[in-house]
Order: sequence, then structure tokens, then C-alpha cells
Amino acid sequence: MHSLLIETVTKRYGTTLALDDVSFVVDPGEFVALLGPSGAGKSTLFRCVTRLVAPDAGVVRVLGRDMSALGGQELRLARRDVGLIFQQFNLIGRLSAMDNVLAGRMGHASTLRVMLRQFTRVDRQLALAALDRVGLLERAGQRADSLSGGQQQRVAIARVLAQQARLLLADEPVSSLDPQSAENVLGILRNIARETGIAVVCALHQVDLARRYADRVVALRGGRKLLDVSVNAFDQNAFRELYGAHPG
Amino acid sequence: MSDFPRRLPDGSYVEEPFRPFSAANITRACVAILLLGFLALCIRLAQVDPEALVNGLPRLLNWAAKAWPPLLIDLDAFALRGLETVAIATVGTVVATLLAFPLSVFIARNVTPSPALSLPVRWAVNAFRGIDTVVFALLFVAAVGLGPFAGVLGMIVHSMGVIAKLNAEAIETLPSAPLEAAALSGANRTKIVTYAMLPAVLPNLASVSLYVWEANVRTSTILGIVGAGGIGIEIKAAIDLLDFPKLFTLSVIVLIMVTAIDQFSAWLRRRLV
Repeated sequence: MHSLLIETVTKRYGTTLALDDVSFVVDPGEFVALLGPSGAGKSTLFRCVTRLVAPDAGVVRVLGRDMSALGGQELRLARRDVGLIFQQFNLIGRLSAMDNVLAGRMGHASTLRVMLRQFTRVDRQLALAALDRVGLLERAGQRADSLSGGQQQRVAIARVLAQQARLLLADEPVSSLDPQSAENVLGILRNIARETGIAVVCALHQVDLARRYADRVVALRGGRKLLDVSVNAFDQNAFRELYGAHPG
Repeated sequence: MSDFPRRLPDGSYVEEPFRPFSAANITRACVAILLLGFLALCIRLAQVDPEALVNGLPRLLNWAAKAWPPLLIDLDAFALRGLETVAIATVGTVVATLLAFPLSVFIARNVTPSPALSLPVRWAVNAFRGIDTVVFALLFVAAVGLGPFAGVLGMIVHSMGVIAKLNAEAIETLPSAPLEAAALSGANRTKIVTYAMLPAVLPNLASVSLYVWEANVRTSTILGIVGAGGIGIEIKAAIDLLDFPKLFTLSVIVLIMVTAIDQFSAWLRRRLV
């Protein structure tokens, strides 16, 4: 079963065609870089996968489930399997790193436990293991807004790990990080994909980072899929076709 | 850095054990006890007496029963008083807004031309804000005589303080980078304020003035009680004579007026931002 299956997905906003007949699949453990200039449809694609918007045509399957056929409780359960990483981290700044990671357990814990912030021992162990996985165990008690950008993004990754998501969507996760932190974050994402079989789809603007960390490159331009190739096949010609210029 | 959380050799984790008598928890408990004690003191000072309320309720219900049917003559006179109420608030808020703008630029920490002078100006603004419209209106009734103009003057002084303070806070939340960029073009303060600051903060300033206008419409319904114009004069007369049908009619007029103004102002504010 594919982790993510996108089949002839089309999405129109007014007169603009945000996604035009896009199809591709992502398998467990794969790290797919989603490339394309701004406005190519990357964000719309993510919003279709999480069903924040419904595609006009086509099918989105997450772990075999047709997302547009779901609603209410079923949709919430399906969304639990999808973890999101944002450019701006989207942590709750006044909460500790640990409490932010526990936020990933909200879809699993009872409403009362979440309201009282009394997670079970199992949930807390999961959260601590996730923080340890991204190398921030000793920062568990620190307020999120006092962490560096790279550390905050790692907390965000720990949050989706605690969520036990099986598909990660990362929307330009390193665009506001310094080069060192960017390498660190992408390295963690790649290792998570390899070691746990979680599928990672990562929208990127940095082609060299895509070349070094991704297994495969899917490129969008003007809402259409331009390329779907293994990372080794993404060469100078492909770059020129995508961005209309020479690299660097 | 604390020793917790820690990974154990078996792959599980230990967290810091819960210590109910840690310094932080004792501090928290002390603060909670102090706050509760203060609340208890306030309840005593305010002479809170539920029994008096229970005893008084039948009287209130009796009056409510007497208020029906409402008084339906003199409606045009009441409507005129209602308009007078809105007029006091409108004139008061407009003039206060114009006077408050330079004050708010003067006291906003990020754009003040003189940090030293802004301190006494800030005190003055706090004094205007701290003393209520009704108190100023009483003073002006003594100075310029009974009538809505005294209310307008009282409202201007108090609202000027409120608007200047809220405007200054809105200005202070502006990100500094665009203002610095403007300054680096070699522009003087006036140019920066009018060209870089004003466009960014204008919706907030307008929103502040609309809020104050709403509040002023509500305030001006009681200005008549101190002889400063508006529908409050009629309300006071009705209460003094225990004329409940008239009080009922006046209350409905106030309610309709205040709701209409609030809705209109909220609609305007949504369009601005």
C-alpha cells in the first residue's frame, strides 16, 4: 500500500488552476522533495492531502484511505496519520518543548486529559522518546519560544513523531533556518524516513539540499507536474526546465 | 540544568518527580492565598449582602409589573433626547480624536520626539483618562451651565486621555524595521510619522476611536443625571417620580440606540482592518 497516492488531482480557485491533473505516489520510507517556484501549487497540494480543501477532481489516498470520502470522526482519525511541519514551526511559544510535543498526542488522548494537561504515562514516554530522537531531551522543560529556530523545528518534528504520523508533509521546513540547522533538520527527517518507514514529502526551494537528502524529486510548475524522477536524474537540464535559468 | 528527564538503560524515561512542597509550588500557594484573602476583604468592604438582595427582589418585581404598559406619549421628545445623546458622544469623540493624535505620537515610546518631555505628558494623559467623563461634566456644568455642551466638554477631556493612551499603545506595537528603513532614507521625524507610521497604524487608530465612540454613546445616556444633556435627564426624572412606564420606554430607546450604534461601529471596524 502506498503511503500517499495522488491521482489526477485538479483544483481551481476562481479562474486560476492551482493544480492541473497531478498524479504521483509516495511509498513508506521514501523522502520525496517537492520542488517548484512559488505559486506552483505545492501548498495547495498539501491542503488537498489534509483535506483542508477538497480537490475538484481526482483522488487523494493516505495509507489507502480516500480522504474526500471521509468526514467527521473518520476524517479526524485519518488526519492523525498525517504530520505537518511548517516553515514557521507553529509551536505554542509559552508552552515548554515537552508540552508542545505532547500536543501531538491530542488526537489520541481524551478531551478531559488534554484540558487538564494530564497525559498518560504512555503518552509522556512517547513524547520523551520523540524529543530524545531529535536530540532535545535535555530541553524538555524549556519554553518553546526561548529555543533557537533549528531547535524549534526539531521540537515540531518531535511533535509529529509523538503523533505517530505515518506520512509527514513538510512545507519549506528549512526556509527560515541557517544552513547548519537546515542540514540538521533535513538529516533528521531523512533518518526518520529510513529508520521508521514514515513517508516524507518535503517542499523545498533549495535544489542542492533536495539533491543531497531526497530519494526522489517531484517538480510542479504552474499547477502541473513537470517531473517525477529519482534524485540522480535531476540534472542541469531538469533544473533549467523547472526554473528557467541556470543553477547558482 | 536539571538531571531530568533522563533515559534509563531499558529505553524508558524518568521525569522529575512531583514535589508538592518545592519552592515554586509554595510560592504559588502563597500567592493564591493572598489573592483569595484580598477578594474576601473586598467583599466585606463592598458590603455584599445577599439577604438584602433577596428582600429587595419582590420590590423590583413589583415595579417591573407596574411598568406595563409602557408610556407611549411624548415619543418624539424622547427620540430627540436620544439623538442629543448620540450627538454629545459624536462631537465629543471627534474632537477628542483630533486632540489625542499629537499627544499619542508624543507619548509613544518608539516615535516620541522627546523621551524626557513625554513623561509629564503621559501623566497628564493618565489624569484625563483616570477621571471619568461624568466628573469632568459636573465641573463643566458649573463652568458653562446646564445642557449638552457641558457633557461634550467633559467627554472631550476624558476621551482624549483614553484615545491618546490606546493610540500610543497601537503605535508602540508597530514593527521597528520599516520605521528604521524610513529613517535611513534621511527623512525627518515628521516625514517618518506621516509617511511610514501613519499608513501602518491608521486602521488601528480608527478602530480605537470607533470603540471610544461606542462607549461614549453608553456614557452619555447617564450624563443627563448630572445635568449635562441627553436622555439621562428624562431617566432621572422618571426614577425620581417612580414613573416606571416612562422608565421602561426610555430603557428600550437606550437599548435600541446603543445596539444600533454598536453594530454600525463594529461593521465599520470590520471594513477598516
